Amino acid sequence: MKLNHRYTLAYAVITLFVLSVGFAIVYGAMSRSVTQTTIGKLRHLNEVVAAQLRSGRDYAGHPARANVRIRPLAPSDTVAHAQLVQVRPEWDPELQSAVNVVRLSTYPRIGGQRYHLTSRAVVVMPSDEYLTGIVLVFAWTFVFLLALVVILSEVISWYILKPFNAILLSIERFQLSQKTTIGLQPSRTKEFNVLNDFLMKMTSRAQSDYQGLKEFSENASHELQTPIASMKAKIELLMDSELSEKQLLMLTTMHDELERLAKINQSLTLLAKLEHFEWEPAPLTDLSRLVPATEAAFADLAEMKGLRTTQQIAPGVRVPLDESLAQLLLNNLFSNAIRHNLPGGEIRVLLSATELLVENTGHAPSVPVAELFGRFKKGNAALDSIGIGLAIVKRISELYSHRVGYTYADGWHRIRVVFAAAGE
Amino acid sequence: MKILLIEDHPELARSIVAYLTQEHYLCEVAATFDEAREKLILFTYDCVLLDIMLPDGNGINLLKLLRKDGVESSVIIISAQNALDFKLTGLSEGADDYITKPFPLPELHARIKAVMRRRSPHKSNVLTFLDLTADLESMECRVNGKLLSLTRKETNLLLYFINNKGRMLTRQAIAAHLWGDYTDNLDSVDFVYQHVKNLRKKITDAGGKDYISTVYGLGYKLNAAG
Repeated sequence: MKLNHRYTLAYAVITLFVLSVGFAIVYGAMSRSVTQTTIGKLRHLNEVVAAQLRSGRDYAGHPARANVRIRPLAPSDTVAHAQLVQVRPEWDPELQSAVNVVRLSTYPRIGGQRYHLTSRAVVVMPSDEYLTGIVLVFAWTFVFLLALVVILSEVISWYILKPFNAILLSIERFQLSQKTTIGLQPSRTKEFNVLNDFLMKMTSRAQSDYQGLKEFSENASHELQTPIASMKAKIELLMDSELSEKQLLMLTTMHDELERLAKINQSLTLLAKLEHFEWEPAPLTDLSRLVPATEAAFADLAEMKGLRTTQQIAPGVRVPLDESLAQLLLNNLFSNAIRHNLPGGEIRVLLSATELLVENTGHAPSVPVAELFGRFKKGNAALDSIGIGLAIVKRISELYSHRVGYTYADGWHRIRVVFAAAGE
Repeated sequence: MKILLIEDHPELARSIVAYLTQEHYLCEVAATFDEAREKLILFTYDCVLLDIMLPDGNGINLLKLLRKDGVESSVIIISAQNALDFKLTGLSEGADDYITKPFPLPELHARIKAVMRRRSPHKSNVLTFLDLTADLESMECRVNGKLLSLTRKETNLLLYFINNKGRMLTRQAIAAHLWGDYTDNLDSVDFVYQHVKNLRKKITDAGGKDYISTVYGLGYKLNAAG
């Protein structure tokens, strides 16, 4: 729900409430004022009749007497009030309907004699049609108000929230890797400016952190490779000199560890590069060609381990992937399938238009399979692997929105890459 | 054979020079972009080993300058950047080969030899070691003239041994040479053992001597002693 819609809704509810209260007040006031006006008229009538009585003339048959009853009071009668008002519904035979009858009693003293004057009038109470009329007035007012609120809130909120929407758009377009700062417009609204400042600070800090990290990973990896190369070269030179077996063994261990260091470094660098890899719309890579080619490249390794490889390759499978990244992905999948296999085991490769499935026999992984996509996770600690291959596979798949999954069942490891539809 | 090594890391340069000198190359070193340019203008080299990251410039620019000036030397890029970077950025344009740091020195040597051979097709294309011969054209290997039926990988392995005869080759270096980027060398040492075993067997079956010796289970060496 949009912000201004929520406001509009709130206003609508408030308006409805206020109008209902207003309606109740108006209705009450109307009913009351009709009665009050009648009482006023009756008071006047009583005064007229009292004046007539004072004049001493005979006014019998005068129209003023039609609705007034005159009763002289005995001196023993006490008068509690100066006047008495009675309102009650009665059947009116002239109107043939129930009406409210208002009676006003006054007790004027005329020449030492107290009189009891009761005047009577019929009041038509605002009900039914009358009520409907009032309700309609209010309903129309409500509709009109609501329409106004809806239209105005759209216009006003568009105007007021313009900077806010601009901020949202900027955030949406913002990329950590972009060289420029986030583009934000200053606004006349204090809160938006506060938000702007905050976002500016936050994004520029994130950007500088990101740049720092990127430079660090690039420098670290690059600057480490040369010393490692130098050390390895020195060890190789040493190996060709006259050494005892013990010394050679030590050197070889050093050499292996350096090799491992270099490998870890390269893999991490590669992952970092993939994190920052800015891919254009991917070219289509022909997996129907690449998969068998990769299989062939690994064939001798598989053969030496006594593995049986079967492939089912659908023709003409072209998938959005950078070719060298696709090669990297396949290399990792195949070398894993060989490395984590059992002697005399099996590898099955299945390429269809929608997915690539690489299955291999092997021991059950010692950690949950989902974790194997993490870095330095090894399904089998006995093997001397770095445990980064699957992280690379996952990252490459993600780059192009392909989904990769790993399951283990009945002695088979299955890695499935489901291709994103081209042009998605 | 004159080689110019352009590398700013003095120790690595020293090791490479020491190694290549043992292999009877004349090897000069330039540590900076400017020095390298100067040397390339004044002298002619058969092969240039080029580091990309130089303190005062980028090796790729040097390569472009080289090619623009019509320098005919073979160029092998030595870089900490890996194959993927090269593929993604097309760095290797104009270079004959590239090798990623850290690399085994025998591998560098093998690459230099391969590049030089491609450059000079008139040169003899047969490698010999005692009674072993390897024809680089037909990829045929013989023992005392008797043809060995080797797989492609085994042929490759034998060439590597002959190119680096008398040197100890670690299993890792051999794995890196045979499979390159395809696998991390950490678990391919068993495969190396298999290949070497098969190769030795084929040579001895064909009546050759077993020239390949195992060095304490660490690596292998091709030498006359056998």
